[in-house]
Amino acid sequence: MRRAALIAVPYVWLLALFLIPFVIVFKISLSDIALAIPPYTPTMKDGFWTMVQGLDFENFVFLTEDDLYWKAYVSSLQIAFFSTLLTLLVGYPMAYAMARAPEEWRPTLMMLVILPFWTSFLIRVYAWIGILSSEGFLNQFLLWLGLIDSPLTVLNTNTAVYIGIVYTYLPFMILPIYAALDRLDGSLIEAAEDLGCSRLQAFWLVTIPLSKNGIIAGCFLVFIPALGEFVIPSLLGGSGTLMIGKVLFEEFFSNRDWPVASAVAVILLLILIIPIILFQRNEQRNAEAEG
Amino acid sequence: MPETIFAPWDSPEETPLIRFQNVTKRFGDFVAIDDLTLDIFEREFFALLGPSGCGKTTMMRMLAGFEDPTEGTITVAGQDMAQVPANKRAVNMMFQSYALFPHLSVWDNIAFGLRRETKDKAAISARVDEMLRLTRLEKFARRKPHQISGGQRQRVALARSLAKAPKLLLLDEPLGALDKKLRQETQFELMDIQEKTGTTFVIVTHDQEEAMTVASRVAVMDEGRVMQVATPEDIYEAPNSVYVADFIGDVNIISGTAAPDGDSRFAITWAADQPPILAKSDIGFNTGQSCHLAIRPEKVAIHAEQPEGKKNAVRGKVLDIAYLGNLSTYHVELPNGTIIKAQTANTRRIARRDFTWEDEVWLSWTTSAGVLLAQ
Amino acid sequence: MKHLLLGTAALALVAAAATAEEVRVYNWSDYIDEDLLTKFESETGIDLIYDVFDSNEVLETKMLAGSSGYDVVVPSGTFLQRQIAAGAFQKLDKSKLSNAGNMWDVIDARVGKYDPGNEYSINYMWGSTGLGVNVDKVKAALGDDAPIGSLELIFNPANMEKLQGCGVHFLDAPTELIPAALAYLGEDPDAQDADTIKKAEPVLTAIAPYVQKFHSSEYINALANGDICVAVGWSGDVLQARDRAAEAENGVNIEYYAPSEGALMWFDQMAIPADAPNPEAAHKFLNFIMDAQNMAQASNYVYYANGNLASQEFLEEDVIGDTAIYPDAATLENLYTTSPYDAKTQRVVTRMWTKIKSGT
Repeated sequence: MRRAALIAVPYVWLLALFLIPFVIVFKISLSDIALAIPPYTPTMKDGFWTMVQGLDFENFVFLTEDDLYWKAYVSSLQIAFFSTLLTLLVGYPMAYAMARAPEEWRPTLMMLVILPFWTSFLIRVYAWIGILSSEGFLNQFLLWLGLIDSPLTVLNTNTAVYIGIVYTYLPFMILPIYAALDRLDGSLIEAAEDLGCSRLQAFWLVTIPLSKNGIIAGCFLVFIPALGEFVIPSLLGGSGTLMIGKVLFEEFFSNRDWPVASAVAVILLLILIIPIILFQRNEQRNAEAEG
Repeated sequence: MPETIFAPWDSPEETPLIRFQNVTKRFGDFVAIDDLTLDIFEREFFALLGPSGCGKTTMMRMLAGFEDPTEGTITVAGQDMAQVPANKRAVNMMFQSYALFPHLSVWDNIAFGLRRETKDKAAISARVDEMLRLTRLEKFARRKPHQISGGQRQRVALARSLAKAPKLLLLDEPLGALDKKLRQETQFELMDIQEKTGTTFVIVTHDQEEAMTVASRVAVMDEGRVMQVATPEDIYEAPNSVYVADFIGDVNIISGTAAPDGDSRFAITWAADQPPILAKSDIGFNTGQSCHLAIRPEKVAIHAEQPEGKKNAVRGKVLDIAYLGNLSTYHVELPNGTIIKAQTANTRRIARRDFTWEDEVWLSWTTSAGVLLAQ
Repeated sequence: MKHLLLGTAALALVAAAATAEEVRVYNWSDYIDEDLLTKFESETGIDLIYDVFDSNEVLETKMLAGSSGYDVVVPSGTFLQRQIAAGAFQKLDKSKLSNAGNMWDVIDARVGKYDPGNEYSINYMWGSTGLGVNVDKVKAALGDDAPIGSLELIFNPANMEKLQGCGVHFLDAPTELIPAALAYLGEDPDAQDADTIKKAEPVLTAIAPYVQKFHSSEYINALANGDICVAVGWSGDVLQARDRAAEAENGVNIEYYAPSEGALMWFDQMAIPADAPNPEAAHKFLNFIMDAQNMAQASNYVYYANGNLASQEFLEEDVIGDTAIYPDAATLENLYTTSPYDAKTQRVVTRMWTKIKSGT
């Protein structure tokens, strides 16, 4: 009896925090836009049965008719994918250096990684505007060095979006990889060298596979929020930066078309569910392997 | 053809496989290895024995290539190892933690080293299967390291380090993680495998029993120096110092001053109101030179009455009795406070034993029972 | 027993807080002299809770979601009209607005397009959407005969190509730029049919590559600092940029022009949500704002014209005398108003705007 209750708790949690909101959004996505409060029809006010009869998949059909939407999804997937890759390329060496650093330095290094979280995310993204703008620190520094003659246009381009995402989500990449590398037994590397591996081979054949779980966790932690990212592309991106988060915002606020906005969100969720399930599986397998 | 005793260290025409020549290793101010010279011969099962921090692991890591000597040279088969990195040495190591790759199966762990030197899949497969047979692991080939027992993991580690048929196998406390019974079985298995493969083994251990059981020769180390290198029998019977005598097994040390007393015999004055002890020794002592007599407890006899015609006999009181089942060790206090241990085999039932606490007893030993040491 | 007493005391406090009258106002950011807020509190004894927003879309989303909890909100004309249709507002009780006689009939008549008979709202401020120009830089780029006061400046690609170097910002507001493009073409800026609206697309697409940024507030600083030389923006904001540059004495000389082809006139209207918790206090707040001196104080502070005729005698000379704020009769005649698009047209407009900005 108590066992059943214990098992029920996470499911109730899931139901309350995920399933019920999803059902509401899904229901709105099947409704029609209306000039009313709330701005869609039908609602429960019309009676449950009338409401159910009034629902249809029109909005989803609409999403397939305008190429804007799938272009935005593809562009978001692309930006999320490459920024995850970049974050991995930047984050892995940092995590590796942290794990190899003398024991007494590690809490400090860890602190430095976490430190940016003490400042509002919005302020940190605004700070990048100051760095990347044509009169910004980066350009002034490069001009001062004499590397460039005229200011580079970085702000309001996709490059700035990549920089913003990599910067913002870097700790989410570093921490799981660091955790994996920290647990790595140094004698495994020596064993690999003893058995004939060069340093690089040992890294590739032992360190990378053994930090694989950290890499996977880090990539998901970056990829999933980056896919739906709105703030970074709208502050650092240019008018040409097409991301589904921005499209969602426009549907909701500019077109005040809640049903289409909900349909966009439902599709986004479906796209995200695949990596989330893969991530869960991976975590579960780890838990089993370690148990 | 008569069977010859394996003792290449005694024949001057043999060249050693491994030579440490005046090797010193420092970590900052700490001297881990202090001007050490040592030869190890091919097919030897050589044990480095000592307490933790004596430098035995550092020596092993220098052989493997994980540390470089600060001074001196190490040669293996005549080649100076100074410029040879770990992955280019025909030396393999079995790690104390086994260091099995957790992401690879038993089979792939054993194949790991082979894959680095050849692409021939059939050859790798044949060699891995051979190693699996040798270590009786055929049934576990597809398992991951976390799916097998500690003893099996130990054998995987051994199989993996032997797979490349190294000239020299290093074993770092190979049995330390096993329980006592399994350890004893595995010791014999190790000796068996060493004999079958003909590989030179160097084992690091702090367990003197283990070293004595498996090794052809033992190097007893202390604070970065080798105290004595000898066969297990010689180490036990003829230690060259109080340190070695004390480190290996149980021993009574009686300190005093020596005086020559006939042919290779010395009289040791050790207590004011006691007659001197007589002991034979091949090394000479001057009159008045301080000396230490080391006698193993099993070489000390215990009597109820003063024994007749014994050269060395002292009287004391039973202070303590350690009953070990097959043996009993009596701790006997002499009038001057010295405690001497005497060991007897329990051939009789416990109720019929002769001595009990507080009994007055006599202890005796022959003149050749002990070893007379200068230091 | 003691705990119980304390508990009762706490309950009493909560009850007292609930009965103290309060009014919640939701207005645009930087849009009032804050002294007026304290003045209202001391005159009426009502607690004023003042919140700000920075886009009509944010306000509208709150209104359409319902139960916003605000007593007074300030949507712009087209948004107001749509929200009235959605049933978001309650009719004003004119008997509680004793200062109604102060209002300016000219403005009331124009607002009537969105709120016929001014039944739901009163005008707070109004202005136009036009050109903020760094005169010296534009003349340097285009020569002394540059069409500074004309839409030719921003919709002729040849001009824009030359201005690209010194920087041009556009409002990120399709409902203001599309009518402007239509006005440039000589079409009705208030056109509601998709075919006419689509005529604006090639005009905007042709110049979009030369626009550094589509944004609705960054241009104030950018103009004032001299980072850009032209901005399509709101009158009051451009004037703010002009004053900031003047204060900084950085040699940047900004002027505002309502384009000669016609400029969009907009109205920010105060209205009371249908579900306002305290409509009584809301009416008191509206009446307070409609007071001639109070309204003048607000305009003197924010540099926008208001719809209160009686307030004009209290306006400072640099407000009432500035044609950029209070245009002359001829210019006023030249200002046009637009109606809200229906949902379908709105989608066409938004989609077109996305396409223009991103080329997708």
